[in-house]
Amino acid sequence: MIVDTICIVLVSLGLLFFVGGAVGVIRFPDFYTRMHAAGKGDTMSVFLVLVGLAVYQLGDFSLGNALVAGKILFITVFIMWASPTSTHALIRAGLEEGQKVWTRDDKKEESEK
Amino acid sequence: MSAVSDFPDWGDPNSPANSYRLSQHYVTETIHETSVPNMVTAVLADYRGYDTMFETVVIFTAGIAIIGILRRFGNDDKDAAKPTLYTKKPDLIIDTTCRLMIPIIQLFALYVIAHGHHSPGGGFQGGVIFGASFILLAVSRDLQAAQKWVPEKRILNLAGIGVLIYAGFGLGSLLLGQNFLDYAILHKIMPATPIEARSHSMLGVEIGVAFTVTAIMFSIYSNLASNGSMKEGL
Repeated sequence: MIVDTICIVLVSLGLLFFVGGAVGVIRFPDFYTRMHAAGKGDTMSVFLVLVGLAVYQLGDFSLGNALVAGKILFITVFIMWASPTSTHALIRAGLEEGQKVWTRDDKKEESEK
Repeated sequence: MSAVSDFPDWGDPNSPANSYRLSQHYVTETIHETSVPNMVTAVLADYRGYDTMFETVVIFTAGIAIIGILRRFGNDDKDAAKPTLYTKKPDLIIDTTCRLMIPIIQLFALYVIAHGHHSPGGGFQGGVIFGASFILLAVSRDLQAAQKWVPEKRILNLAGIGVLIYAGFGLGSLLLGQNFLDYAILHKIMPATPIEARSHSMLGVEIGVAFTVTAIMFSIYSNLASNGSMKEGL
């Protein structure tokens, strides 16, 4: 019962972060802010969802389930490494390629139009 | 779309595909006939061994075809547009992460290959993961760094060896007086019962498949990324 509650809370929080990331990718004005939303949102949400699933596996405790939970946690660690690094690599590539940074002046121009 | 509702339910044991006698045989007898718990691998590498052998040959041929089409020798192209994604020296963050991740990816690839007859996995999947680790090295540094580990010559040797390992298991059983790829007879040269010999041979052919797939994956990547010159790529 407690395990189920923890699991539901974690997975729902993760889905909330997913929604945040998705909205950010659509709504933010330039490449860098969009990567910011995608990178942070996805890392956090995948982390929460996978930890939630691991907790769910541990609810019915046995050696096999513990092994599955351990594997899920390994995936979590792996994503925590890979996702921020790939965000960093993309941003860096964008910077080298000369993507423009969105500033306050752009906002004024947009509102004048 | 209206026909979709007529499909059998997912996992329905009475659907035509599952109630056919052949599938029943695979489901109930695989463990007794081959001592391999994963019946998908048993069908793939044993019952349908020919098919998988020639799939490996198809991958080998695809790799050779890519090399034949794209590979250019000599340094002729001065005007060709150079990829400019990573012009500076390797980034510290990317470098460190890849240093951490590549060994783990390779270890996991070996696990997938070696565990192919017990759990989902096998030579094709493990080979792709292993090839991807070299591609990651090539992406995170440059093509030259990856070429240091797997030069072109070694790649082609590996791809050929993979197919030969697979065919060798077939020929081995042929030489011992059984049909091609009928592994049970290999128990004469293995410390195993005839049924266990099937399981061990499946591991053997998976390793052969993995060799070929790893080599061809990286070969295709390096040819496509460097425009066939194998010198500079993404």
